[in-house]
Amino acid sequence: MHPSTPIRELRQRRYRVLATLALTGFGLAVVGLLVLQVVQGQMYAELAKENRVRPEVLRAPRGAIYDRHGELLADSAPSFAILFQPFPAESLQRAREALSPAWLVRVAGLVGLDTVEVRRRVNLANVTGQSAVLRRDAPFAVLAGVEETHAELPGIEVQVEPLRHYPYGVLAAHLLGYAGEINGQELDSLAAGGYRPGDLIGRTGVERTYEDYLRGQDGVEYVVVNARGRRVSTLKESGARAAVPGQNLTLTLDLRVQKALEEAMADVSRGAAVVLDTRDGGILALVSRPAFDPNEFSHGLTRARWEELSQGGANPLLDRAIQGVYPPGSTFKIVTMSAALVHGLAVPETRLNPCPGGMNYGGRWFSCWEHRGHGSLTLVEALQHSCDVYFYQLGLRLGLGNLEQTARAFGLGGRTGVDLPQESRGLIPSSAYYDKRWGVGKWRSGLLLNLAIGQGELLITPLQLALVAAEVAGNGRALRPHLVEHVGSSRGYRIPRPLQSGLPTDASTWRPVQEAMERVVSAGTGTAARVPGVLVAGKTGTAQNPHGPDHALFVCYAPADSPRLAVAVVIENAGHGGSIAAPRAGQMLRTLFSPDSLRRVGGRVVRDTAGTAVIDSEAVNGD
Amino acid sequence: MATSWRLKSPGLDTPLLLAAVALVVIGLLTVYSATSVPGAHQGLWARQLLWAVVAAGLAWIVASLHYRAYDALAWPLYGISLLLLAAVLVMGSSAYGAKRWLELGPLRFQPSEIAKVATILVLARYFDQEKLDLRRFTRWFPALLITVVPFALVVKEPDLGTSLSFPIILVVMYYWAGMPASRLLLGLSPLVQAVLFLVTKSQGWAGGLALTLMLLCWALGRPRPRFLAMVSLLLLNAAVFVAVPRISNHLADYQMRRIETFLNPGSDPYHAGYQVLQSRIAIGSGGITGTGYLRGTQKALAFLPMRHTDFIFSVVGEEWGLLGTLTVVVLYALLVLRGFRLALVARSRFASLLAVGIVSALFYHVMVNILMTIGWAPVTGLPLPLISYGGTALVANGIQIGLLQNVALRRSEL
Repeated sequence: MHPSTPIRELRQRRYRVLATLALTGFGLAVVGLLVLQVVQGQMYAELAKENRVRPEVLRAPRGAIYDRHGELLADSAPSFAILFQPFPAESLQRAREALSPAWLVRVAGLVGLDTVEVRRRVNLANVTGQSAVLRRDAPFAVLAGVEETHAELPGIEVQVEPLRHYPYGVLAAHLLGYAGEINGQELDSLAAGGYRPGDLIGRTGVERTYEDYLRGQDGVEYVVVNARGRRVSTLKESGARAAVPGQNLTLTLDLRVQKALEEAMADVSRGAAVVLDTRDGGILALVSRPAFDPNEFSHGLTRARWEELSQGGANPLLDRAIQGVYPPGSTFKIVTMSAALVHGLAVPETRLNPCPGGMNYGGRWFSCWEHRGHGSLTLVEALQHSCDVYFYQLGLRLGLGNLEQTARAFGLGGRTGVDLPQESRGLIPSSAYYDKRWGVGKWRSGLLLNLAIGQGELLITPLQLALVAAEVAGNGRALRPHLVEHVGSSRGYRIPRPLQSGLPTDASTWRPVQEAMERVVSAGTGTAARVPGVLVAGKTGTAQNPHGPDHALFVCYAPADSPRLAVAVVIENAGHGGSIAAPRAGQMLRTLFSPDSLRRVGGRVVRDTAGTAVIDSEAVNGD
Repeated sequence: MATSWRLKSPGLDTPLLLAAVALVVIGLLTVYSATSVPGAHQGLWARQLLWAVVAAGLAWIVASLHYRAYDALAWPLYGISLLLLAAVLVMGSSAYGAKRWLELGPLRFQPSEIAKVATILVLARYFDQEKLDLRRFTRWFPALLITVVPFALVVKEPDLGTSLSFPIILVVMYYWAGMPASRLLLGLSPLVQAVLFLVTKSQGWAGGLALTLMLLCWALGRPRPRFLAMVSLLLLNAAVFVAVPRISNHLADYQMRRIETFLNPGSDPYHAGYQVLQSRIAIGSGGITGTGYLRGTQKALAFLPMRHTDFIFSVVGEEWGLLGTLTVVVLYALLVLRGFRLALVARSRFASLLAVGIVSALFYHVMVNILMTIGWAPVTGLPLPLISYGGTALVANGIQIGLLQNVALRRSEL
């Protein structure tokens, strides 16, 4: 029962093929060994003598951030770090020198640390074989000191590394966010991302959302050093990799609008303001108060300073424009009015019971802010004068379902999807919400009265408020607030598409709301936001809040006849929207629309038919 | 030439045995040298010696049982090894971000080593059929399935280096079991194309070569491949042609980096590059005669990371020079060629297939490790068989040598 001859022959042939393949493989290894040990043997023997080859990381600069006109908002500037380079173990003499008390004292004095800390870092470096940073962003005086004493301080080196720099400091700090050195916990959870100790990582704002684009890829090179640890040459050897810089971001932000808004909000102790491009939802400016200087994080914060920033009462790191939630107060009447029009429950001329300064409902007295009463008003007039009694009645007419539906269609009660981290949802209550809170059937329609005027369980973010104005200005067109125009060369990145708004988009529905908002500014509660030559449409709000004085709110868009900007201003515990918030929006708009400031936007100044200067669309959009 | 050697009567394959023993001895000596410097690994050579004794004993036992027993036990062994691989994913202990080890009391072992042997046994058993026509889908596909399951589980650990030994084993065993070379190449053409594209970054080259390969296989295949097979492979190649460049271009740099580090954790390019450089310095500085045993400076300075495990070949190169490295390469070549020779002369189909599977896995490991230490292959974390420090690997290698000797002892049986 021998294997038959043909099979034998087949096996013979296959055996020869496999044997040849194996010999080829081993031959390859032999060639490699000959090259390494015979041809290059001398060179490597030289290198091995003291093993003076050391890998050095080439830090990749983080991508820069620009506004829509190419103004620099964040970049990486070179800075100098003072390092301790561990010695090869054979240089035991020098290693001992390095830890001598005299050495420690001198080094500690130079870098401004205590000797215990220097010893700890140096020991760690000697154990791990990785260099230890003793001082980041060293000032010139320290560098000069290091250079002078270099020969006497073995192991101490100066290395160039990119440092995050924000040329405008606190300007747009919340929106840009900050980048800090990665911590141990993050290193563990992001191990797969290729992070290493000493890397920068975006913590908040755009720095965080676009972390993957902004961060570059570090390179490595192998340097030959002499006996004193000084670099002699760079090894031309496979394995060296150049650093790949991160990609640049171009924001929708307009530096000039941002500056005007910062100025208008300069003396606000707590509050936020947002400016949206009404046509595409791009964020033109965003301010939150109190603010912080992101440059502080680049230099490394002391523990005390970090606690002050993160746990201080005012919480400056909080981006109130997207994370702060506020009762909308009377600004919400825009939504109530729109809901009535959208659901066909009122027309602009609808008159309800006249306002005597308040109304009785369910045995309770609901007062109007105008205790003298407004008398008989149409829907448009009711918004103009912000008559609470009219809107109480309108709320009852609408019912909770209709009101909730329209509010959600505006994008309230949910994240807008803006490309910033940790956005709040706000709150638009539903009947299910009340069932859960008070029990089924245990709540009464009386709360509708409060909701209709923007009090009660409503919460919105300043960004959502600006979005409402932008949607009214755009006849209900869906918008998604966004901040990044394009990434790098713009290839491979798309601005997220707007969410479906669910609002009707016919001009006839929106015209009455727009007209009413125009009247608010021209002859209503918001006259403080008037701008000479520019038609502004807005709505004031004064939100009661259980924790202290009222919040002042104002929302508007301008120019009303050809909308470009939607503005929301919220100022905490400051009083009336009409007298506290509206003037700030007005100040910003006046700065922007004053003729001499227009040219600096970078676009053409055009005059509309009424002879009013408006910013040309190309100029604001800035592509 | 090896082919002229004759194996006259059944008995141990002495050259193979001597080569294996010599490699283990070299390994012990080198582990001793590599761990002779003061440090965390000092004295590991004693444990390695213990493992060598255990491995030899196991090899003896494995060789003495008739291989028919392994034939019968193939499937249960395979099942157990799959369970162990699954267990690793659930409760394995991790190192460098990968779960590869299972702990049983004081014992720690890598189930992937067991799975490799079990898969070879099952494949040998499966291919052990009279008139097996591997051109037919219903015949070759089950073998693919048998291999893909453990392969996928090992990829998931993740252990890219070890996992790739599974497809290598499968391809060689397909060939040995009678699949025509042209069919094999035809089936591999999409893979060849993808790899070629990733290496050359040229769609024209990769696609053109794949098409040429397909045409050649069609022209040379006798009988001609079926129409359906040709069409489906053409479609598969077309898909690769369209998809692979898209995917590799579409993935942003950082995504590629993440995939890279996911598949190969601990492969921080910064560290990997440094390791390879240090390894090249060590081997290169050895020159022709080396620095002398126990006199290597690179390993003494702790510049060679993993000098007693993955990079042990560098210590050989430094201390014993070209003479040492060539000796090791020749010993491995002897082992591999004798192994293939056993497959040639074994009369039982099962035994022959078993030998081929084992030898191809060994060959793959040796090549990947040696080429890695000289910087010609990526750092994948595979140890050098029989030489590197490590209990599981040494025991697994011992079992493999035992199985080869088993075949040698009974090579004239049918």
